[in-house]
Formats: sequence, structure tokens, C-alpha cells
Amino acid sequence: MPSPTVDKLLNSADLKTHWSSISARLKSEVSVDTYERWFRNTELVELDHEQMTLCVPNNIYQLWIESNYLGLLQSSAMLALGSARAVKFVFSGEQNHEAAEKPMLPVGKAPAPVTEELDARPATIVANGMNPRNSFDAFVVGPNNQFAQAACKAVSDAPAKTYNPLFIYGGVGLGKTHLMHAIGHAIFGKKKGAKVVYITSEAFTNEFIDAIQNNTLIKFRKRYRQADVLLIDDIQFLADKGRTQEEFFHTFNTLFDGHKQIVLSSDRPPSEIANLETRLVSRFEWGLTAELQAPDTETRVAILRKKAQAMDVRIDTEIIQFLAERIRTNVRRLEGALMRVASYVSLSDGRAPSREKIEHLLKDILHEEARRAITIDQIQRRVAEHFDVRLADMTSKRRPANIAFPRQIAMYLARELTKTSLSEIGDAFGGRDHGTVLHAHRLVKERMSKDEKTRQVVSFLDTQLTR
Amino acid sequence: MKFSVSKEKLLAGLQTVQNVVSTRTTLPILSNVLLQADGDQVRLTTTDLDVGVSGAITAQIEKPGATTLPARRLANIVRELPAAEIQIEVDSKNVASIRCGQSFFKILGLPEEEFPPLPKFDDTRTFTISQQLLRDALKKTSYAISTDETRYVLNGILFSFKENKLTLVATDGRRLALVDLEIEFPRSQEVDIIVPTKAVTELGRLLGDEGDVRLSVGENQVAFQIGDTLLASKLIEGNYPNYRQVIPGEAKERVTLERELFFNAVHRVSLLSSEKSNSVKLIFTKNNIEIAANTPDVGEARESLAVAYKGREFSIAFNPEFLQAPLRALPNDEVYLDLIDEMSPGVIKIQSPFLYVLMPMRIS
Repeated sequence: MPSPTVDKLLNSADLKTHWSSISARLKSEVSVDTYERWFRNTELVELDHEQMTLCVPNNIYQLWIESNYLGLLQSSAMLALGSARAVKFVFSGEQNHEAAEKPMLPVGKAPAPVTEELDARPATIVANGMNPRNSFDAFVVGPNNQFAQAACKAVSDAPAKTYNPLFIYGGVGLGKTHLMHAIGHAIFGKKKGAKVVYITSEAFTNEFIDAIQNNTLIKFRKRYRQADVLLIDDIQFLADKGRTQEEFFHTFNTLFDGHKQIVLSSDRPPSEIANLETRLVSRFEWGLTAELQAPDTETRVAILRKKAQAMDVRIDTEIIQFLAERIRTNVRRLEGALMRVASYVSLSDGRAPSREKIEHLLKDILHEEARRAITIDQIQRRVAEHFDVRLADMTSKRRPANIAFPRQIAMYLARELTKTSLSEIGDAFGGRDHGTVLHAHRLVKERMSKDEKTRQVVSFLDTQLTR
Repeated sequence: MKFSVSKEKLLAGLQTVQNVVSTRTTLPILSNVLLQADGDQVRLTTTDLDVGVSGAITAQIEKPGATTLPARRLANIVRELPAAEIQIEVDSKNVASIRCGQSFFKILGLPEEEFPPLPKFDDTRTFTISQQLLRDALKKTSYAISTDETRYVLNGILFSFKENKLTLVATDGRRLALVDLEIEFPRSQEVDIIVPTKAVTELGRLLGDEGDVRLSVGENQVAFQIGDTLLASKLIEGNYPNYRQVIPGEAKERVTLERELFFNAVHRVSLLSSEKSNSVKLIFTKNNIEIAANTPDVGEARESLAVAYKGREFSIAFNPEFLQAPLRALPNDEVYLDLIDEMSPGVIKIQSPFLYVLMPMRIS
């Protein structure tokens, strides 16, 4: 990652990052109300080695922050930036011109040692790729994710002591990233100065490539191998990336041997990630593997209630029930739907919309959901019908080609169209093991790429099923 | 100019105005008091160019006229004279002869024309308030005025006239005192002014128990008319900070405190807080507050106070002086202390519209 130097004019994104790392520290030191009241609307608008300029709405902010939180602000800035800064204030609307009269001197104003600065920076930046709203408190626990949540909590309470590495997997929008962030925040908040590094495996790959190109491998390694906690999201994207996997393998070993916590997430269990080196797979399975499943109806209702509360909107129990029943697989989509309903309600002066209205409002989401709601049973029926074989043949042990191939197509479709795991699919097809399903899937895929007719048949069945 | 007046009256008149006279001034005329004899009154006026006070005393006037005399010297002389009639005669060279019984003084004055006039008020907003209410309100707020000269907008009290209410606010950034007074005035008169500390102090001395005070607010200046006495002051220019932002939300815990008992206890305990760790801790347990202070290498103090308290057990620390100031100023027997948690500001309230926001100290 090209790291910005402080000497250059910092762009607004950099300033935002710096401010969020400063304010993250502030947040842990002051009460929620204080933070909301005095720092939520504060922005960092200028920063150099000597001073930082904060933009506040008006002069009461300057007065109160200077009088009560200046020491805290400066120590937070010092921890986040690596050296002390004088604090200056401007009021929004008059930025850069009428700077408030009084730049306050920092307590112990030492010239910034540059090396220390550059060293301190990445940790905080990387740590703050995390959304502060993703905390344990905001995570709704249900039977579907209880185990994963408990494991994450345990890890954040005693990093590297309990489950190392921790491997979380589950489908899209079920809370993997949320839990990762929550671990990061919890450890960050508990142990000041802990180097928490959160990154997606894709960003990791990109940084690695950058590092090779710019000959900065040493810096790259330093960053990751000196982390106290390494959180890598969407590890499945490491598949097919041989050199990155190798680099990651060494990073993993260094951290693991140094008793540092590693947390990984993926959309499937380690053994099912294709083209991942076996030595990595075995390492991922070393610690604890926790699965996140789609929430049940009660949990979905709980999630919707919590989100509605957080958004500060009142939504009828009936509507919540409706949403929870219709949107089953994905929490993110659930939130999206709720957001849409909430904004509709607020735009129509708080009148509760009718069922039809909501269906119309959410028709794309509901449609998408319906697509996901296909069962293996439906697939088996449809496929059997199409190939004119008996439904019982789908689960039977017989394997002449005219039965085996439709069965394989059904397995392929089950894998593609449902969220069920390989072994569950195997079970549904007469107790076959997951390897058989995987083989069927691979075989059909291969045939499709070679044989026009197979592709036509499969895509025909696909559209029939998902219509 | 020639007049005679009783010692008491003259002394009282001089004492009303002499505080304004600054001791170190580059302009000699500013250490003088202006005397204007006319009709049956002698008007006494002093000013430091920011604040001016003018009062009148009744006297027998033989020859009207005006002059200025060194205020402190004159007051010192009058104070030492026997309680009798004093006769003052001033010649055209502004030399004053003061006779009282067997005593005779001659002091040199300066011509009246050199004395800077008090501001004239045209196009003003006027308000009428009970003297007693305003004096009370000033007493309840003035201790919280900031003395930090770099924050000049805070070196005074905000008088905010809005929606038939006069709100007085003083703050120094770590505490804030606020009083609301109900007064009536038309919407068109709504205005915010900042009255400087010196004027507030003088006003506090001038306001009595009875009658009204009439405020006139002009461009950059304000006048308070109290009977025959007029106090005029420049205003502090600038925007007073939006104090509403400071007032915390709903309290979690409220304790009712007997003001004097609590004040005395805090006062005693604060004897063992030091410059460095200038704080007293309030430790709340069921039906009890323990007030504690502790200075390493010096010692510690503790005092328990039985109160009706059913809330959460916790402790919070305050600057002892800041905690005592409102308790000293309030007349009420009971005060309420509202708290949220150890990190959020505490609020002292009474039955009437008053509040005092006090930032806690961090307990390390």
C-alpha cells in the first residue's frame, strides 16, 4: 500500500482516517453522550507535524473541548499519530480563514520523530478499516450464530489464548465481517496500542503485488508479521493465488509461532475452498472452525427490531413479521428491505404502508428471495421430470449413465441454487458423501464448458426453477 | 460652585461611584469624580471609559456649577470628617475648599470639560426588572464568569432577552450557571448582550431589595437606571457560545441535599485537596454520600452525609471550589444534584429556574 507522507498535503480521505483513529481512542475514554455531543460533529481539516486543525460547528465546541478534553484529545492524537500536536479550531463555514484565535500548545511539544510516525501509522489505519458500528453489542445472537459469536467473544477476551486461528464461515450477509470488526474493536478498546490489523484477502493480495513491484516487501512483511491481531476477511479469494498464498503461509506461521491471534473468514469451510494449498487448509482447520447459518424467523424478527430501533423508526410488528418471513437468507438484504420500508414510512408522514405497498416496494428483493427459496426436493422433481426418470432414482444407489447423469445435474443445481452445504446435498441424494457432490458439480461444470447441449439443458432447468 | 451637604450623604454618594475609578490610569481625569450642582441636587459621576456610574445626593446649593476632584482623596477626607455639615466651595480654577467644623482642606481639581461624558442612548430597547430578582440572578451566576482574558466573550454575563424571558448565563468552560427570569417585553426587543464583569460587580452592589431597575440597551452599550443612580457600560462584543449545547440530557440519579450541611462538609474535606490533585470525590452508596479528598504525601479527609439516595452506587469527582461556589451563592435550604454517570457533567438545581452544570474531574 503506498503510504502517504505527512509532508504532503493530506487529502480528505487521509484526514478522515486520521480523525477516525484519533476519535476511536477518544471514544474509549469519554462517555457516549460526551462523544456524541462534542466529537461527533468535529472534523479534522488540517494536519502537519506541528499542529492539527479541527473544524467544529461553533465556538462552544472550541470552549468546551479546550477546557475539558484538550489533554485527552492531545494524548489521543499523540497515540494515533505518533507525536504531539498543537490543537487549533476553526468553525464550519469559515474554514481556513478566521481560525479561532488561540492555538493551544501541546503539553510536551516534541518535534516529531519521523520513523516513529511512519511506524505508528499503518497499525491505526489498517485497524480502522473497520466499521465502528460493527460491535458485539449490535450483533443479534440467535441459534444460527450463537456458537460463532461465543467463539469470537472468547477470542476478543483472551486473544491467542483460546482459539487460534479462529475460522468463521457462512453465506453472504450473515455477519462474518461484523464479527471480525467486533473482535477488532473489542481488542483495540481493551488493550491500548494493540496492533490490530484488519484486511480483506483481496487487499492483502493487492498490497503484496504492490510490494513486489515497488520492492517494499520488507515493509509489507513488517506490517503484517508484527501485528498482535490479524483479521483477514474473505480468505476464499486467496484461491488460485499461489505466491500470495505462500506469503500468507509464512505470515501465518510467524504470527502463530509468536502467539498472536489470527481470525479468518470465508464463505465456505476451509476444505471446500478450491485451489487452496493443503498446507494452508490444514492450518486453517488447526484452531476452531465456526459456522454462521442463516437466521431463523425469530432471530430475523429480533434483528429487524434492533435495526429499527437503531434507525429510530417505528415499524409495525406486522410489517416486521412480514419482512422476517419473506426474506430468509441474508441479513444484509433484510436490513436493506427494512431501510426501504423505513424511508417510505418517513416520506409518507409516518403512515404505515399496506401489505401490497410493501410487496411492490420490495419486489426486486422478494423476487430475489424467492429464487433462493428453491428446495432440493423441487430440483430433484424438476430434473427427474425433464429427463423422464423416476424421482426415486435421484436417491437410489443405481448408477447407469441415464440415471447417474441427471442425478449429477440435480446435484449441480442444488449446489448452485440452494444454500445447503455439500454434505446436506449428499444426504438429500440418498446419503452420498460430500465428495460425490463435489465430483458431480465439477463434472457437470466441465461438461457444460465442452458440450453445448449439456449447457442448454442445465440453463433451461435453472431458469425453469428460478422463475 | 458652592454647596453644603451632610457628611453621611456625601460619603454614601461617593461610595456609590468611587469603585469605578481605576487606581492606575494614564488619564488623570479618570481618577476624578465629576460633581455637578444644580437645583437641590449634586450629581456625582465616575468612569473608566468602559463603565461609568452616576448618582445624585440632595444638598443645599448656594451657587450651581460643576468641577472634578480626585475621587479617592475626596472620599478619604470625607470619611475622616466629623459627622456634621460639610461645605464645599470651588473657584474658577477648580480649587476646592472643604470646610467642616474646625477642619479645612484645599484640594486641586480639573475642569469639568475634560471629563468624558457618559454615553447617550438613542434608539434603544428598554426593559424593566425587579431589582431584587436581578440582584439574586446575578449572585447566582456571577461566580462562574471566566477570568481568562484570552476568552474575552466569557468575561461577563450573557443577558439573553428572548420570548418574554431574560436568561443570564456565565461560564468558564468547566462549569456553567444559568438563571431564567420571567419579564415581559415585545418580540421586537429580543436581544443578546454580554455585560462585562466589572459592570456586573458594580450592579450587584447598586441593586437593592425594592423597586425596579430599568435597562436600556443601545449599540454596544447598556445602561441600568436604579432610582437616581445610573450605571452605563460598554458591552463585550462577540458571540456568546451556544450554552444550550452544554446542558446534559436527562439525569439518571437525583439527590436532594441540605445545602448548608453539604457545603460545610465539602468545605471541610476540601482542606485536604491540593493544588495538584484539586478534587473531592463524592461516593454514592445507599442513603449515603461519602465526600473524600486525598493528597499523596499530605493526608486525606472523609466525611459522610446521610441522604435519601436509592440509585446506583458510584463515585464522581469535582473541583471543590467549583462545587462550593453555587452552594455559597444560593439562598435555598435544599438543592438537587442531578447526575448521569462518573464521566458526565453534574447539574445543581433548585426549585426556581436555575441550573449549574459542573464538569467532573477524571478519577484516575
